[in-house]
Amino acid sequence: MEHVWALAYIAKDPKALARILDDAFVCVNADGKLLSKADILADVTAVNTLQLLTESMVVHLHGDTAIVTGTFRTTGVERGKPFMRRERFVDTWIFRNGQWISISSLVTFAHD
Amino acid sequence: MKATGWLLTVLCALSLSISAQDGQQSNEGGPAAVIRGLEHAWVEGQSRNDNQALEMIFDNDLVYVEYGKLVTKGKYLARIKQASPQLSEIVMEPMTVHTFGSTAIVVGTYRERDRQAGKRTVRRWRFIDTWVFQARGWVLVAAGAAPTTE
Repeated sequence: MEHVWALAYIAKDPKALARILDDAFVCVNADGKLLSKADILADVTAVNTLQLLTESMVVHLHGDTAIVTGTFRTTGVERGKPFMRRERFVDTWIFRNGQWISISSLVTFAHD
Repeated sequence: MKATGWLLTVLCALSLSISAQDGQQSNEGGPAAVIRGLEHAWVEGQSRNDNQALEMIFDNDLVYVEYGKLVTKGKYLARIKQASPQLSEIVMEPMTVHTFGSTAIVVGTYRERDRQAGKRTVRRWRFIDTWVFQARGWVLVAAGAAPTTE
């Protein structure tokens, strides 16, 4: 599911991402901004992500809840400016109606 | 220390007596109130270097991201134990609790006031915490924050 998420950015496919995010999904990005599902889906098409490389990923299961942590590197173009970032994420997923749905994501710049 | 222990006892009793509810909910009542109390108990415990209180709030498999680094429960508690409460203060701001059955997400902001080498700094952070309802009540399984200027 995390890879589906990453591929959605590369392919600029908000529909694919919409299927795995809960309607009440919330995200805090590396700039400390609070984003809704609609914000994230708009971001998929607004940002030209050229490469998204997941460096590490660990899944912690707590019954029907999963915490996924890891780091990734992204390169792309945002508002005409090229960027390269290394970020750390903490995603929360719940298993509901036979599928995993993400309900939150925290992204912050990785400092190690 | 005693005050924190008493508060935690009450909060744990509350969380044990309230069953997890189905569906996504917004702010007030039931689990949301308990979790809000636990968030404040966490800050209280940290300000008193009260690792025993924090031990009860955190799941053993806690993942915590602070200052862009991933730390375990053990490392986080070790840092708190050594921290000087006089040099750092956390001021919580409004938070929102969303419950999804036995899982809850808390989103909010806080200010961190530091005093080091005679200098005072204030940073504002936006956080997301994940709580899971277990046999002993609500426990924190993931937490992290990003600096915000908003």
